[in-house]
Amino acid sequence: MIKISKLSKTYSTGTFTVPALKGISLEIEPGEFVAITGASGSGKSTMMNLLGLLDRPSAGSYILDGMDVSNLDDNEYASLRNRKIGFVFQAFNLLPRLTALKNVELSMLYAGIKLEERRKRAVEGLTLLGLEDRLHHFPNELSGGQNQRVAIARALANQPAIILADEPTGALDSQTGLEIMSIFQELNRHGTTVVLVTHELNIAQHSRRILRMADGLLVADEEVTHPLDAREELQALREKGAEA
Amino acid sequence: MNIGELVLVAIESIKSNKLRSFLTTLGIVIGIAAVIAVVGIGQGGRAMLMTEMEKFGTNLFGLWVNYRDGESFRIDDLSINDISVIKENVPQVKYLAPVTYNQMPLRGSKGQKTVQVIGTTAEYAQIRNLEMAWGRFIRDDDAAVGRRIIVLDEKTAVKLFGPGNPVGKRVMIMSNSAVVVGVIKSDSSMLGFNSQQVAYMPWSFLCRLTDWKVIHELQGSAESKEEVETAMNLAKKILERRHNAPNHYYAYSMEQEMQSANKVTGIMTLVIGCIAGISLLVGGIGVMNIMLVSVTERTREIGIRMALGARRKDILIQFIIESIVLCLLGGFIGIIIGYGGALLVAKLAKWPPLVSVWTVVLAVGFSMAVGLFFGIYPANKASKMDPIEALRRD
Repeated sequence: MIKISKLSKTYSTGTFTVPALKGISLEIEPGEFVAITGASGSGKSTMMNLLGLLDRPSAGSYILDGMDVSNLDDNEYASLRNRKIGFVFQAFNLLPRLTALKNVELSMLYAGIKLEERRKRAVEGLTLLGLEDRLHHFPNELSGGQNQRVAIARALANQPAIILADEPTGALDSQTGLEIMSIFQELNRHGTTVVLVTHELNIAQHSRRILRMADGLLVADEEVTHPLDAREELQALREKGAEA
Repeated sequence: MNIGELVLVAIESIKSNKLRSFLTTLGIVIGIAAVIAVVGIGQGGRAMLMTEMEKFGTNLFGLWVNYRDGESFRIDDLSINDISVIKENVPQVKYLAPVTYNQMPLRGSKGQKTVQVIGTTAEYAQIRNLEMAWGRFIRDDDAAVGRRIIVLDEKTAVKLFGPGNPVGKRVMIMSNSAVVVGVIKSDSSMLGFNSQQVAYMPWSFLCRLTDWKVIHELQGSAESKEEVETAMNLAKKILERRHNAPNHYYAYSMEQEMQSANKVTGIMTLVIGCIAGISLLVGGIGVMNIMLVSVTERTREIGIRMALGARRKDILIQFIIESIVLCLLGGFIGIIIGYGGALLVAKLAKWPPLVSVWTVVLAVGFSMAVGLFFGIYPANKASKMDPIEALRRD
């Protein structure tokens, strides 16, 4: 699915050059649930930008879904982002003046899918995430958890190769965060490859593999033997709430 | 992603911020309205002028001394015999009459007035399309018999005899008298060409009164519009030959006058239209200004769209189309307001409102062009954004 080798990224600001990634190699197989963690400044954001084709590496190679994408132009990047990658952001990044439905349609719009088909698939996607009665609401009329679910529906709309989630629970309370994590786990159970970028260890524990970064290097690559199950945690939380 | 989809995206975005969109395009509204109104009023005024001039008779031409080139008037420059010679030799000439001007004090039973008296012959009525209110105009036999008659216009008639039919009454001209045989309708011309008070008498009678056999001008009309040019040129040649005075005469036609009037009003409309066009330019800069602000404000949106797979070209086209749609919208509102303005002025000035299809097409085209031109820079700026930077911005 993803194969990167000796990937590095250096930012130059005039006189200074700052190495953000210092040559990272790793592979992610289809159907994996990977969390990338690290303190701020560890290079995980740069990593996420490179994986998400928002930025170009300074050196190294990146093979996505069997295709070498290290040396493509802006248009090809845009097209690959559109088809292969589904972004979920901390701040949801929905367009505030569009309804939930229109927001989900947006990525399909850029894929050139016809209006009727877009509408049908957007309704299906939102229904799957339990938002069938929120189709025509604007983002400011929805709760944080609902907004993030709209964003997930949007990320899934073009059936991407991977879901790239950048601190997806960062703006949510812990219970809502767990709800979102349970969605990712559910998606992963059905075969979707999920790459999660987070600095919260307990969130990372929901994945099945944790990549730890520090100073632009990959310092650990651990399998999670007993991932936390967000559904069970939620159940427990609700029981506790009912007792109290 | 096709253009139709992008137009929808643009419309959605314009709709989502109605007040700002309206304010953005207000400059275009005013600019287009001004251009449409000015051109509409100008064209209406021109059409009005033309119909007024046509009342004089479109086939009209005149011959007089070439004062323009410094020739001076001699008493025998035009003679009454010239008329019959010209009419015999130039078949294109339908009517031809002598015109002699004289200011004379006229006195009637109710009052007096000094008016322009024109000494002429019967054909003058046909040449100038004169209409009678009462009685008749000068006839051919008046001169032969030597009748002492006068034809007044309505205003003069009222001044001299009060309202009512004055035919048969006497007018005193200094120590002489003349009988009123007819009254000409003075039509209410907007341009005031006919507002001057005039009386007509047989040319021979006027000569006798003033003791001066002179013709100031020959006026005639051609068989058709196309023949005016030939008729007047041939007539001029005959005069030159008969009086042995090359380049001494000058011929003019209403057709020429109309053309030059047309030119003048056309240039005026163009000049004022250009000034109005400047406001369009200012409007366009306003659009660019707000579009630039809008691009900065919507940095996040641009970043999101890019992350979702919008190519730079898609962003570029989206913003250009937004600008074009905005300007077109302003253009349409402007056309309606401008047309309303032209209609109002036309109604007040009693002339036909004329906003030609071409003016509208041009206005629409121009507002599109303004949108395109002033949209390119902001759109280009939007499309050049770095998606990472754009996403990070609040």
